[in-house]
Amino acid sequence: MEALSDLLLGLSVALTPANLFWCFVGVFLGTIVGVLPGLGSPATIAMLLPLTFRLDPTTAMIMLSGIYYGSKYGGSTTSILLNVPGESASVVTCLDGYQMARQGRAGPALGIAAISSFIAGTVGVLGLMLIAPPVARFAVRFGPPEYFGLMCLGLAMVVFLAGKSMIKGLIATLFGIWLASVGTDIFTAESRFTFGMMELLDGIDFIVVSIGVFAVAEVLVNLESQAGAELFKVPKGLRNLLPSLQDLKDSRFAFVNGSVVGFFIGVLPGAGSTIASFLSYGVEKAFSRHPEKFGTGAVEGVAAPEAANNSETGGALVPLLTLGIPGSATTAMLLAALILWGFRPGPLLIQENPALFWGLVASMYVGNIMLLILNLPLVPLFAQILRLPYFVLAPAILGISIVGVYSVSQSLFDVWMLGVFGLLGFLMRKLDFPAAPLVLGLVLGDRLEQSLRQALMMSQGHLSILVMRPMSAGLLLLTVVILLMPVAGKIRSWRLKAAEEGI
Amino acid sequence: MRTKMREIGVLFTLMGWGLVMPQAVPAWTPTRPVEAVVHTGPGGGSDIFARAIADLLQKEGLVPQRLQVVNKSGGGPTVAMAYLAEKKGQDHTIAFFTGVWVTNPLTRKEAKVTVKDLTPIARLVLEPAMIAVKADSPYKTVKDFIEDAKKRPGQLRQSGGSVTGRDNLTRLVIEKATGAKWTFISFASGRERIANLLGGNVEMMVIEPQEAREHVRAGNLRVIASLTDTRLPSFPDVPTTKEQGINAPLVPQARGVVAPPGISKDIVEYWEGVFDRFAKGASDE
Repeated sequence: MEALSDLLLGLSVALTPANLFWCFVGVFLGTIVGVLPGLGSPATIAMLLPLTFRLDPTTAMIMLSGIYYGSKYGGSTTSILLNVPGESASVVTCLDGYQMARQGRAGPALGIAAISSFIAGTVGVLGLMLIAPPVARFAVRFGPPEYFGLMCLGLAMVVFLAGKSMIKGLIATLFGIWLASVGTDIFTAESRFTFGMMELLDGIDFIVVSIGVFAVAEVLVNLESQAGAELFKVPKGLRNLLPSLQDLKDSRFAFVNGSVVGFFIGVLPGAGSTIASFLSYGVEKAFSRHPEKFGTGAVEGVAAPEAANNSETGGALVPLLTLGIPGSATTAMLLAALILWGFRPGPLLIQENPALFWGLVASMYVGNIMLLILNLPLVPLFAQILRLPYFVLAPAILGISIVGVYSVSQSLFDVWMLGVFGLLGFLMRKLDFPAAPLVLGLVLGDRLEQSLRQALMMSQGHLSILVMRPMSAGLLLLTVVILLMPVAGKIRSWRLKAAEEGI
Repeated sequence: MRTKMREIGVLFTLMGWGLVMPQAVPAWTPTRPVEAVVHTGPGGGSDIFARAIADLLQKEGLVPQRLQVVNKSGGGPTVAMAYLAEKKGQDHTIAFFTGVWVTNPLTRKEAKVTVKDLTPIARLVLEPAMIAVKADSPYKTVKDFIEDAKKRPGQLRQSGGSVTGRDNLTRLVIEKATGAKWTFISFASGRERIANLLGGNVEMMVIEPQEAREHVRAGNLRVIASLTDTRLPSFPDVPTTKEQGINAPLVPQARGVVAPPGISKDIVEYWEGVFDRFAKGASDE
């Protein structure tokens, strides 16, 4: 009941003409930022912050968060069309989205991304309103040992990403984990594998590596094959421009899975939407009746990570609502911005300013609807890009990649790194090493090492801390089960074979 | 045409300045947007601080040109400091420093530039700090904590950021002064530091008064000492560490402005004047 009255209060704030207008400005800018690779929502929000000082604080918050969740809608566009991840959380979307585009199903892929973003975005906000307090208690109990368990579980997803050869998948993962260790060790302030290069002190940027091994490598492979003739099947007729009823049916479970995984990962202050998208992809494949289709253009493979990416937004507001701790880097920034308006951000902020918070939440419902209306008509338009001949498309992809990488930190060094990782990705393709496990290792490696070392510092070096706490023990057990799944599959097929031969 | 417009603009601004402050027209004023270098990415502490100051300077009309915040992150302040050194002798560039600009170059070999190589302009704030524990913690004073830490060395835990940051330096000086020993655990973000304190994974943290105040009001945290010379006006009941018998030096977080090496005296004087008036205006409010 309380949730309903809160929502009504929120709607009364969100539906004023000025707030509706700025909400639209926010989600519109967010969509653009999301479509452009590299430039992420935190950077955009920081840059626009001074411009919003003249607005009413609620209105400004509504606009700035519109950028935040709006960018998540747009992020999938370049992933699907060009294999260029628009932001780190859209890397997983490349795996099946780009394959769908090559099969002439770019429209359905983009459409399903928008629809699952809408569903999950709304589910995330509902979760925030209805179950925030108990979920927040769970978030606080989640300490370093539990994060370690979660990261192990995430790494176990390699089982679903490895492709044909598990050994090659594991090698790629380990290489990714090693890449994650480059830079400054936070526990000792010591630099590792930087070879005296100042540019490597902050490590290797995830977006540089993923654009390199996905987009640049893809261009190199296509240029080499020289055929170029029928790279993309051009969709014919209007019917193929939007997802079919069958696509929606196939994605039913993915919507639910992605929404739930994204929400719970979003609640954790130490994990983010990138991890959420990888996990939901793994879950989707684990429970799928046709796991072999993943990586070749399965529509669920787009729906699940896009859903997870978007319900994370609602989840990240949970610890903010209940404990005054932001759940993600972007919410931390929005909170800090409130100081500039004379608010006191903290656990009592929402109690003392209900109109601000619930107005923001209600604007997220409204914004999600705006985004769906804004994005669906854009789908057929974007899909036309693939009509371009490849000799036009290839330099465009490289150009977008370079601009995207440069915009992250305005460093030419990163552009060189992009080239290095493009070549690496090309070699990996030639030698049949999958790229996704490398990216997975890089995403999780940092957090894996940090949480393990933090846990051991907590216990003065006793490894037992990892299995004595119920949640981390459960996560580690689940990891073992997943790692044993391929082995079990092998044994089963071997026994079937034996039985057949026996007959 | 555009340059002419700009010249006229500057002329007008100068005239405006002359009206407000008849004392003197400065020997140097910026004629194009000024680069304000920070060592954190967009949304980091220094970044938000710099953007807020840039906005205020413009609103108050203290600087005739825009301050353009430039993010040069990498290895703490290493990349930003190297960038400033490259700008040797050039005008239209300033930077916002914090305490890590002093400590960080001491610990890493990649850092070729130290604070001594740069031109000091102004120290704007000294942010005080406090020691906080969970609201239901058995420690009522910092002495309770120290006693317990002495009883079981290394078993109590503090959450914080970088080991070269203020939180850890505070631990080291208190350990040295009291002989107690506890464990410092680094967390990548501020939100994890406080989440782990609330979750009971660590026993203590060093926290800014502003953040502490809200969590104390909500009943999440208790502050057991203030790391200041005298009690903080916003926490009159919380004794300082010195009052509680701990004779350790204080490590406040400093924030201020530096410029590239080798710039002319006129530029230094100009910025000193700007930030002097800025500080006076700020304290009037």
